[in-house]
Formats: sequence, structure tokens, C-alpha cells
Amino acid sequence: MNIDRRIDKIVEIYIPAIKNGQETIDSILEKYPQYANALRNRLEVVFWLLNAKKNFEPRQGFISSSRQYMEQQFETIRPHGFWQRLSRRFTTQRWVFNIAAPIIVLLLLALVINSAILTARLSIPGDPFYSTKLLTEDIQLALTFDQVDKTDLYMQFSRDRTTEFVELVLEGDYELLPPAATRLETEIIASLHSINDMPLQNQAVEHPMILQLRETLTNEIFMLNMLKSTSPTTAYPGIELAIQVAQSGLMALR
Amino acid sequence: MPARLDKDNELIQKAQRGDPHAFGDLYESHAPFIFRYLFAHLDSRMDAEDLTGEVFLKAWQSLPKYVEHGVPFLAFLFRIARNVLVDHYRQSNRLESTSPDELDGYKEEGNSEPVDIINNQMEHQKILRVLTTLRPDYQSVLTLRFISELSPEETAQVMKRSVGAIRVLQHRALAALRQEIEKTG
Repeated sequence: MNIDRRIDKIVEIYIPAIKNGQETIDSILEKYPQYANALRNRLEVVFWLLNAKKNFEPRQGFISSSRQYMEQQFETIRPHGFWQRLSRRFTTQRWVFNIAAPIIVLLLLALVINSAILTARLSIPGDPFYSTKLLTEDIQLALTFDQVDKTDLYMQFSRDRTTEFVELVLEGDYELLPPAATRLETEIIASLHSINDMPLQNQAVEHPMILQLRETLTNEIFMLNMLKSTSPTTAYPGIELAIQVAQSGLMALR
Repeated sequence: MPARLDKDNELIQKAQRGDPHAFGDLYESHAPFIFRYLFAHLDSRMDAEDLTGEVFLKAWQSLPKYVEHGVPFLAFLFRIARNVLVDHYRQSNRLESTSPDELDGYKEEGNSEPVDIINNQMEHQKILRVLTTLRPDYQSVLTLRFISELSPEETAQVMKRSVGAIRVLQHRALAALRQEIEKTG
């Protein structure tokens, strides 16, 4: 056992005797002369603390006189039972906060997402939100399981790509026209595949879909030709590429 | 200690059945410990008295909770006392002890002479000033062990540490206090 632990043990043993006034520093040191110096330091602090204790005593008669008052308080205030404690823990304010806070957060989140989707829907290639628009379209397709609805969606996307194409020409972003034409081609091919993938028994639906796609492509070709006639020559290569794409789709449909 | 525990348990059972006098007995036997602990952290005797009452009222209200947790009653009281003290500090925003010039002039009951009262208060302030320079855990362990006179086991339960850890903490706290006393003379 090292000296510190030994001294701690001695101090611990003599605390009750020191409190009762049966031992003094010197009387304890006499019993342990080998630890005299270190033990004296420790005992002096203990004596200081025990001496200080008298300054922290309650004033005479305070406890017994306050007991009566406290018992009256105990009479009027009953201990909290389980349900009381539960209701204290979940006060109306807390309930309101617990319910209102997530609702407000969800509403704000919905507002932000909705705004982002709306902004994305109006975006054209080159806009920061355009990738979000393509992503929402992919999600929409992934969540559409009916083949007819899926074909309808592809045709809708094909019309959207043409509209974007027109907007790009009007804004003079001619360098973005070739990739836009490629995207238009992708949508037209996807529409054709979707019509081909329809089950045989769905022929009654397939025919109107073919007519609808044909009408869409014809309108797109007409619109692109009109656009070409009003656009500067620098936009021609891009527009012609888009017309070729739409015409190829129409040919494939025939 | 076991005798005290047995008596406490008996009184707690009565108090649980709604006997305020049984809790009054508990108040009378434990209030001095709580008072000393609180007064060793406060500069006003009146605050310490008020907070002692508050501790017991809270303990009375939380009696079912105490039974569920199964900690010794004194440890339960000291935990409440610690929380009450923290709340008091927050409310009064008065962490620093006041100087003797700012004593609250509280007049004690009994036959004490005004000079004695002032001397006591000045001595109390002096001790408090030394204790408050120590680290909070040192201050806690010394207050609990020597001012409130808890055993190492009881102190361990209050401070939620092992008895061994309390002995080590006490050893270091005494050394730190020794240095502080030497510094202040």
C-alpha cells in the first residue's frame, strides 16, 4: 500500500473521532510518526473543513419550527401519481409544440419541394433545375405501371422536348440545339417502343395511340419548319437535325 | 447506516400512504444535511432555508418516482438539492459569492448577538470563498463528505460514481484545498 493510500485510510478511520473531539492532530501524529509530515498536511485540511462545518449549521430551532410549516405544505400538496407526472411531462404547450413543430417543418419542406418542382418544370436545357426536371420525369415513368399511360407520358415528354427546343431557338442558345434534338429522338424512340410493347389484346387502345403519336410528330415537324423559316441561318443545323429526328419517327410509325 | 435506512424505509412507506407527519419525521432527520450542503454553495442563509424547504416539497411530490428508482432516500434528496441549486443559480444569476459588505442583513432567531451574527456571516463568506475556488466536483465531494457528513458510500450514490472514485476525488480535493488555504493564508 503506498503512502497516500495509507494516509487516506488513517484519515478515514479518525474522522469520527476528530468530529467527536476525541482526537487532535498531535494525538494522531503520535501514533504514526513515520508519516508525520504528509499526515499533518492532510489532517490540517480535514480539521479546517470540520471546523468550517459549524458555520454551515442551520440556526437553532429552524428545523423543528419549520417542520410544522412543511407538514402543512405536505397536507395541501399531494405527491404526483403516475398519470399526474405524465401529464406534467406532456403539458398542453408541449403537445402543441410536439405536434405543431413537425407539421410546420413538413409544410415548409413540401413548399420548398413544390417550388423546386414547379421551377424545374418551366426550365429548359442549360437551366440549373433542368436535371431536376428530367429526374422528376424519370420518377413519374417509374411510378407508372400501365402501358397505355406510359406511352401517353412518353408522347407528352416528346412534346415537351419540342417546346424546349423552340424556346432554345427563340433565346438564341443554338449550341444547345444538337443535344436537345438527341433528347427529342430518345423520347420519340421510347414512345415507339412503348406502343410496340403493348399487349395484343390492347389493339383497341393501340390504334388511337398510333394516331396520336402521328399527329404529335406531324405537328412537331410543322412547328420546326415554321421555326426554321423565321430563324437565323446559324440555327439551321440544329433545327434540321430535329426535323430529321421527327421525320424518322414518323417513317418508323408508318 | 443500516438502522437509518430501515427507519427511512418505514417512514417512506407511511409517507407513501399519504402520512405527512411521517414525511415530517424524514424532514427533521435529513433537513440539516441538505441545509448544510445548500448553505455551503450559497451566500445567504435565508436562501439556503428556502431551498431546503423546496427540496423536501419536491421530494414529497416525487415520492412515487423515488420508489420506482430505488435509490437511497438521502441520495435521492441530494440529487434534488443539486437540481434545485442549479435552478436557483439560473434564476438569480448569482454564481459569485458576495462580499461581506453585501451581506443580506438577515437577522437570526435566538439569543445571538448582532456581532456574533456578523462574525458568523463573515467566517461563512471566507470559507465559501476558499471552497468556490475549487473545481465543482472537488467542492461537491468535500461538501458532501465533511459539511453534510455523508459516508463515502452515500457520497458515491449522490455523485453517481464508485466508492473508489470518490476516495480518489476526495484525496485530490483535499490536496487542492490545502494549496488554496496556503495561498489565501
